[in-house]
Amino acid sequence: MSERVDGWRWGGRIFLVLLMVFTVMPMAWMVLTSLKTQFAAMQYPPQWWPKEPTLENYTKLLNPGNPVGADFLRYFRNSMYVSVVTTVLGVLVAVPAAYAFSRFRFPGRTFLFFAVLLRNMFPAVVFLMPLFVLMRWLGLVGSHGSLILTYLTFGLPLSIWLLKGFYDNIPIQLEQAARIDGATRFQAFVLIVMPLSTPGIIATGIFSFIGAWNEYVYAITFLNNKERLTLPVGIQKFFAEFATDWPGLMAATFLMSVPVVVLFLVLQKYFVKALTEGAVKS
Amino acid sequence: MARVVLQNVMKAYGTVDAVKDVSFTVEDGEFVALVGPSGCGKTTTLNLIAGLIPMSGGNISIGDRLVNDLDPKDRDIAMVFQNYALYPNKTVFKNLAFPLQMRKLPKDEIARKVNEAAKVLDITHLLQRKPRELSGGQQQRVALGRALVREPRAFLMDEPLSNLDAKLRVQMRTELKRFHQDLHATVIYVTHDQLEAVTMADKMAVMNGGSLQQYDSPKNVFGHPVNTFVASFVGSPAMSLVPLTLSGDTLQGNGWSLPLSPANARKAQGSSTANVILGARHSTIRLHGAAAAGLVPGRVYTVEPTGDVTFVQVHVDGAIVIVSLDPSVPVRTDTNVWLEFDQSRLHLFDGATQMALPQRP
Repeated sequence: MSERVDGWRWGGRIFLVLLMVFTVMPMAWMVLTSLKTQFAAMQYPPQWWPKEPTLENYTKLLNPGNPVGADFLRYFRNSMYVSVVTTVLGVLVAVPAAYAFSRFRFPGRTFLFFAVLLRNMFPAVVFLMPLFVLMRWLGLVGSHGSLILTYLTFGLPLSIWLLKGFYDNIPIQLEQAARIDGATRFQAFVLIVMPLSTPGIIATGIFSFIGAWNEYVYAITFLNNKERLTLPVGIQKFFAEFATDWPGLMAATFLMSVPVVVLFLVLQKYFVKALTEGAVKS
Repeated sequence: MARVVLQNVMKAYGTVDAVKDVSFTVEDGEFVALVGPSGCGKTTTLNLIAGLIPMSGGNISIGDRLVNDLDPKDRDIAMVFQNYALYPNKTVFKNLAFPLQMRKLPKDEIARKVNEAAKVLDITHLLQRKPRELSGGQQQRVALGRALVREPRAFLMDEPLSNLDAKLRVQMRTELKRFHQDLHATVIYVTHDQLEAVTMADKMAVMNGGSLQQYDSPKNVFGHPVNTFVASFVGSPAMSLVPLTLSGDTLQGNGWSLPLSPANARKAQGSSTANVILGARHSTIRLHGAAAAGLVPGRVYTVEPTGDVTFVQVHVDGAIVIVSLDPSVPVRTDTNVWLEFDQSRLHLFDGATQMALPQRP
C-alpha cells in the first residue's frame, strides 16, 4: 500500500518538475537572451549561456537620453499610470459594492449580482467594437481614460465576486460587537471589517493591476497617439521597427515583468496569512 | 444599571413571525434568562433589545428611555456573543480597550479600566496576546471582559457558555452568578439549556414559536408550569405527561382508573373537554411491584442508572412516565410495575388547550 502511495508521490514530483521546466524555461531564455549581444543571440546552433554577458541592452532602455530608452520609459510610465489608476478606482468601487452584496438584503440583489457576473461570460473581444463606438461618442478615443474605464468594467465583476466571498466569511457578529461597543455601522466596517479583508483587497488589487498591465487588444485599438502607448503595445510597435533586436526585446519584456514580480513578492505574505483565525468559536 | 421593558415586541421576516407580541419587564439588577428550544425567537428577541435588527412593532425601553429607533451604540448596553466575536487582529488589551476608545475616554483611564477588568477576570497575563492564541475558556473570559470594562445599563448574553466543555461551563456558570451578585447588574441571558436558566436566573422567560409562554421565577416555572410546553421543557428529566379521560372524579386509562383527590377533582372539572393530561415529575412517583387500589399499571421500558439515582422509563398507555429510584432498588426491563402518584404534587392540564388547570374552590 505504502509503495503504491510512494509511486504516486514520485509520479507527482516528476510531473511537477516537468511543469516547472515548461514554465520557467521561457523566462530563463528571456533573461539569458537579454544578456547577450545581438550577434550572440542570432547564432546557430544557439549559444545557451551568454559567453560575453552584457548589460548594454538594459542601460540603453533605462537611459532617457537614448531615443529608444526615452520611448521605453514613456511607455512604462503610461502603463504604470493606467494600471495604478485602474487598480485604485477598482478597489474603491469593489470594496463597498462587495460588502453591500454580502451584508444587505435589498430588492433585486440576486439579479444584480448575476448581472455583474454576466460580463465575464463573454470573451473580451466581443465588446471591442461596441466599446470603441462608445468611447468615440464620449470623445475618449486615444486617451488613457478610455483604457481605465474599459479595464474597470472588466476587472470589477471578478473583484466584487472575490471580495464578496471574503466578506461572507467574516462573521457578522464582529460588526455587531463593534456596533454595540460604540461604533457606527461605517466605523464598524472601516475599523473591524476592512482590516480583516486586507488579503482580499490586496488579491483583487493585484489582479486588476496585472489585468491592466498586460492588456493588449484594447490598448492597440483605442490608442493612436505614439506618446500615449502602454508597454505591451509600445514594445511590439517599437521593436517592429528594429525587427531583429531580440536581446533588446527580451530586456524590455524582462523589465516589464519586474513590477508584477515585485508586487507579488512584497504582498505575498498577505495571501498566506489567515487573518480571521481566532475571531470566533464555531 | 437600569430596568428593561419590552411591550408587545414583534419581529416578522416576510410572512414568518419570529417574535410575536412579547412583553416583559426586567427590573434593575435582575438576572433574566430567555429560554426555549432552537428557533423559538429568544436570540431574535435579544438582538431586538440590542438594536441589531429593526423591530416590526412594539416598544423597548432601557432605563427610562425609549430606544426603539436608537442605534446599538446609543443604547448603552454590552453584549457577549455565543461565538465570542473577538476582534481577531487586535490584542486582548485592544479588544478590551475598543469600547472605551469608541467612547473617547482618555488614554490613561482606558489603561486603568482595562487592567481592572483583566484583574477581575484573571486574564492580566494574556493582555498582549491575540485571540487565536487563547484557549476557548480564555477567549470566553476576554469576551466577558469586553462587556465588563464599561458600566453599561444592561448586559445581554447570547448563550455565552454553550461553546465551553462541560466542566468549564459549570465553573463559568458559578462565576457569572457571582459576578451578577457583586455588580447588581441587569442581565438578559439567552440559553437553550434550562438548567443554566434555573441555576442562575432570578426570572425565566420561556419562549416557544416566537411567543412568550411563561415569565416567572425559576421556582414557579418549575412548580407551576402554565402549559404542557413549559412543563415538558423545564426540568431534567422532563415532566411526564399522560393524556387521559375524565369521568366523574376519576381519570380513565386503558383498563384502569385513577381516583383523584377532592382538590384535584375540582381542578380537573375545569377542563374544557373530558380530555385531561396528567403531569408528574419523576421524584413524585413511587414504584410498586404489585397491583393495589389507586395504582396505575405500566411496563418498564428502560432503566438508566446515573450513579446517584436511577431513572426508570415506564410505558403507561403508550406514554412514557419517568420515575427516579434509589440505585439499590432492583428493576428489570419488560416487567410489569404499578405507579403511585403523589396527589398533592400532581399537575393537570386541559387536554384541548394544553393549559394548566387552575386551583378551584
